[in-house]
Amino acid sequence: MAQSNPPFMSGVPELLLLRLLNDQEMYGYELVRSIKKVTNEAISLGEGVIYPVLHSLERNGSLKSKRKAVGGRTRVYYSLTKKGHDRLEKLREDWRRIQGGVAIALENPANA
Amino acid sequence: MREPDFSSLATALLKSGITPRHAHRTVNELRDHYDDLVDAAVDEGASSKLARRTASNQLGRMDEFVSEMAARRELKTWSFRYPHLAVVVYPLACLAVLPAAPVLAGIAHREVLIRWGASLLGAGLVTALMLLIMQISIILG
Repeated sequence: MAQSNPPFMSGVPELLLLRLLNDQEMYGYELVRSIKKVTNEAISLGEGVIYPVLHSLERNGSLKSKRKAVGGRTRVYYSLTKKGHDRLEKLREDWRRIQGGVAIALENPANA
Repeated sequence: MREPDFSSLATALLKSGITPRHAHRTVNELRDHYDDLVDAAVDEGASSKLARRTASNQLGRMDEFVSEMAARRELKTWSFRYPHLAVVVYPLACLAVLPAAPVLAGIAHREVLIRWGASLLGAGLVTALMLLIMQISIILG
């Protein structure tokens, strides 16, 4: 798997996928491109990395999928469920808390 | 990097315990993703050969992809998630099914059974009729 990001990125693909799918349904290739775009290429996921995450999220009920024939290909489009919305909110809160904590530690290392 | 071998990928995913539904769908999605990457490279001016090589590199190694999938317990079949339980349940299930096997086989081949049954019944009736005639002829002397 093309590993584009360091290990501390664990959990970030899930958060980004849920955030993007909160706006509209998308398929795998579209999601990878969108992540690059919305993060100004700061985060570039390996092309295949998202599929295990997508399937896991679908398995736990956060996402649902449907097939659509587009341009001669059958795409699997993913969209968020109610459980997915709740999961996104929880991850968003977790992320903000961690982000805040790291920011404080970086600005005032003595208090860290 | 060589072109991805998607048929081997499906086999490897199934062997690692991924459910058939997730294994086959993942392979189809990756194949489409690869085609999209090739198309994108061609659109940027790459030759067909270079586009395929670039797409393969971007997609990554298939064995690492299998490891990524296999690390997710929720995508595996129950017998891979609970191997100790499977060791107990499968033999018990076989024992339970064993007595029902002839019945199930009969249901599956009911047309043949009906044909054979009708033939045996017909043969039995003819034999009984012949024996009856013989018996009557003996009695009548």
